[in-house]
Amino acid sequence: MNTLLLPVIIPALAALAIFLIPKKWPMREIFAVLVAVFNAIIAWYLFKKDMTLVFPWGGAWGMEFSFRLYGFSGFTLLATAFFALLIAIYSTSFMKDKEHVSQFYAYLLLILAQINGVVLSDNLILMLFFWEGMLLTMFGFIAIGGKKESIHTAVKAFIINGTTDLLMMAGIAITGYLAGTFTISQISLQTGGLASLAFILLIIGAISKAGSMPFHTWIPDAATDAPLPFMAFGPGSFEKLVGIYFLARICLNIFTLSPGSGLSTMLMIIGAITILAAVMMALVQKDYKKLLSYHAISQVGYMILGIGTALPIGIIGGLFHMLNNAIYKDCLFQTAGAVEKQTGTTDLYKLGGLASKMPVTFICFVIAALSISGTPFFNGFFSKELIYDGALESGMIFYLAAVVGSFFTAASFLKLGHAAYFGTPGESTHNVKKDVPLTMLVPMIVLAVLCIFFGVYNAYPLNAYFMPIIGAAANGHSFSGMPANFTLVIITILVLVLAYLNHKYGVKKFGAGIKAVDHIHHAPVLANIYNMAEKRYFDPYELGLKFVRIFSKASFSVDRGIDWIYNHLSVRATQVATNGIKKAHTGNFSMYIAWSLGGMIILVIWILRTVR
Amino acid sequence: MALLLILIPLASIILLNIGFKNAMTKLAIWLSLAVSAWQVAMIIFKVGFDSLNLVNVFNLEIDGLSSVLLLSIGIVAFCSILVGNGTICCPKKKFNFYNLILLSIIGMNGIVMVRDLFSMYVFLEITAVSAFILIAYQEDKFSMEGSFKYLVLSAVATVMMLSSIAILLMYAGNTSFVMVRDAVQGMNSPLVLTAIALFVVGLLIKGGLVPFHGWLPDAYTSAPASVSAFIAGIVTKTTGIYTMIRIVSEVFGFSETIKMILMIVGLISIFVGALAALGQNDFKRMLAYSSISQVGYIILSLGTGTALGVAGAVFHLFNHSIFKTQLFINSAAVEKQTGTRDMDSMSGLSNVMPVTGWTSVVAFLSTAGIPPLSGFWSKLIIVIALWKAGYYWFAGLAIIGSLITLAYFLYMQRRVFFGKINVNFKDIKEAGASIIIPAIILAAITLGVGIFFPYFINTIIVPVSSVF
Repeated sequence: MNTLLLPVIIPALAALAIFLIPKKWPMREIFAVLVAVFNAIIAWYLFKKDMTLVFPWGGAWGMEFSFRLYGFSGFTLLATAFFALLIAIYSTSFMKDKEHVSQFYAYLLLILAQINGVVLSDNLILMLFFWEGMLLTMFGFIAIGGKKESIHTAVKAFIINGTTDLLMMAGIAITGYLAGTFTISQISLQTGGLASLAFILLIIGAISKAGSMPFHTWIPDAATDAPLPFMAFGPGSFEKLVGIYFLARICLNIFTLSPGSGLSTMLMIIGAITILAAVMMALVQKDYKKLLSYHAISQVGYMILGIGTALPIGIIGGLFHMLNNAIYKDCLFQTAGAVEKQTGTTDLYKLGGLASKMPVTFICFVIAALSISGTPFFNGFFSKELIYDGALESGMIFYLAAVVGSFFTAASFLKLGHAAYFGTPGESTHNVKKDVPLTMLVPMIVLAVLCIFFGVYNAYPLNAYFMPIIGAAANGHSFSGMPANFTLVIITILVLVLAYLNHKYGVKKFGAGIKAVDHIHHAPVLANIYNMAEKRYFDPYELGLKFVRIFSKASFSVDRGIDWIYNHLSVRATQVATNGIKKAHTGNFSMYIAWSLGGMIILVIWILRTVR
Repeated sequence: MALLLILIPLASIILLNIGFKNAMTKLAIWLSLAVSAWQVAMIIFKVGFDSLNLVNVFNLEIDGLSSVLLLSIGIVAFCSILVGNGTICCPKKKFNFYNLILLSIIGMNGIVMVRDLFSMYVFLEITAVSAFILIAYQEDKFSMEGSFKYLVLSAVATVMMLSSIAILLMYAGNTSFVMVRDAVQGMNSPLVLTAIALFVVGLLIKGGLVPFHGWLPDAYTSAPASVSAFIAGIVTKTTGIYTMIRIVSEVFGFSETIKMILMIVGLISIFVGALAALGQNDFKRMLAYSSISQVGYIILSLGTGTALGVAGAVFHLFNHSIFKTQLFINSAAVEKQTGTRDMDSMSGLSNVMPVTGWTSVVAFLSTAGIPPLSGFWSKLIIVIALWKAGYYWFAGLAIIGSLITLAYFLYMQRRVFFGKINVNFKDIKEAGASIIIPAIILAAITLGVGIFFPYFINTIIVPVSSVF
């Protein structure tokens, strides 16, 4: 068998096997970890190789089953394999004593197979097949969350992503029509006219998977309703990694996005809005996981902004940020999982003072939080600086949006850290005696170390992974080492200091870490906007539901009206007519004769009218 | 051959009445059954159509339309004789019943074969006289009243038709269809038009269309069960409806006014009949009004004046004679076993009379035009004919009429056959074989015609419409 098929077939078969294994057997976790290890080995083996696999598929339509392994797909394959392995290890402890464990591991491996399929596909139709498979698996993943709302959230996620996938399908159809082929490596379209429409439709599919606004609203719900490892896995896999991977393929391979074009500006605007709106929402969350989920959305904004600039520096920044985000966001969600495991809650009001009780978790959290805030020498800092640079070159406004986003990111993580790990112990934290088991600590530690390693030694990932992706455009550039534009670095540091001062001010004013940003929350205009957001006025899904409800109510009253015509009006009319006719038939035959004669007279007169 | 269809029933009547009273009383049922069965066989196998051309006294002819009617006459007569055997009490009355049926067969066979206005009138009177007596032979107050009403209104119709024939004779010099047609078509004289109007009204009275239907509900309801089936199933259809189809399409021609008259009378009949049926508690009276409504469809279809419309009319005429006879036979079974016709006092009879209950379902679904039963196809043809002729409103209203038909039959079925059984009727049995067998035969024809519709339409109905 061709090696290229292994990353798809092995996890898929393993997922099936897990479904079939009897519930009592204890081997599922070990088995899943082994498969993930095996997958990682294959990915490592395939990394930095160029391979293609083509055979006829779909018969008469001349469709081809084509896989292509090259720099970008090899890297994505490896990254996914890495995060999947960490999640599998982490889950062995986390998922213990939970329901639906079999399903959880089956979905984990199944979605891994599907991600590998998407990444390797060199045919848009084939890619769509795996893409839609992810949609279904995701539904199952959220549905087993074990909460009452889980199934609703799963439906919500399914509907939002199903809709955008449908749009993407239309985009694929148009692209195939314009290019004359569905083979990605042979497509190279110029934007404009119908091609622009195809571009936008494809982009919608990609950024919706990545969780960008306005297709993000299922993510905060999933954060609380889905199993936590699903959320931790998201940034490193089917959401951000695959979504941004496909976005980059669209912008770099399928189409040629040129800097300063309308479509480029559109992407940057989406990115900027996503950064700001999501981070503002993150700021006021009172739940560990929900706060992180809004950051998951916000960080996507940076990636889209970076890629949207269509400048080499921006694209590299965006892709690097994708990897960094996967690392630190994964780590942050895992700390949330650790806290949940030990305290049974992620409600910030009930937490506090965990720093001394769970020191390893705390240290990992600090490193990841510093990284996401863009503190110098952590990995997030370098990718953000690249994006800043690209954004500044494209327009001051985009740079400002990105920097303001950073300010609030830092502010919200100061709040989160303060509320969860410092301050007086909350009601749920009293009984915490020790840190989480090793199987949960190791993945966090690995990720935290990577945060530092990719920061300090950023030349390695940039040169080894990302420079080859943009190909010739990278020639003569070097993005590694310290940022080139030193003014931006100073501004960044200033912003972080401001965020710290803001936190100090908030804590002093309200007296608790969790209330550190309440002065922003309750600021005049903002308070109203927050209120509306809390009531979900800005959620397209909720708006859609509201519309559907109104529509169905209107339909119902129309239906009642029709029903009234059937069940009342027509019955009534029939009764009246029937009674009238019955009354007319008295049985008096002289009257019957009179009717006949009357009828005769009418007919004779009628027929005589035709006499000319 | 054509003459045989009149001579053989006539000979049978003579044979039954020459003497040997006791022997002949026993023979009567077999002889009358044989006569009607022979008639059906003759038509189906087309035995000796052209042989035996005896002296052609009445100018008899058998074409496609006549064949359909002769077939229906044979089937309905056969079934009615069986039902009569099962429902009529004493041998003497049975003997009279068979004789009158034979006489009626003579009259109707004559009507459908003659090609002459006056001969048609003579056979109409033969049929009518036997019908009067058939309705009244129970000799109770109600049947006398019903018969009397039929008699009086028939007399009115007779006067009109005779006057009309007199006028037409004056113009044409002869009463044969061909001569009259040549004389009246294109004629614009007020007298001729009056004659046409009078003749049409006479036939409308005979056919029982609204507003000329006053006699019909009483006559159908008060007649004994077997007679109701016979009169409703075929007598009025032959004397009123067949004659209308024949005379209008072959003699008077479809002028715009006649078409409009037919369609409007048809539509009024559909609705008045159906709405009245909805309000009845008497099983047979409901069927009587339903008859008016279904006859309305035939006349409505005829009113289009197109070949398809006429074909639809003939097809529905045949179907209607089959399923309406069957419904009357079902009502006879119910009346015989329960002793009442009041639908409100019945319930759940299907539990004890399953054959009657389920054959009645077949018949009423066919009447309401539910696929794949025969009535669906004929109504479909009617609606298509109306639509193609450009009478969209009429087509729509015809469909609405069908809905009301379904409504009153479902109402009937629920009240009589379905639901929990009425305790009073818990111990009754299915009616005897001589009522069950005709019901099954007729239900089988309804189902068979519906399922083998393409064969039927091609071999029987299309030849009819190709005449026009």
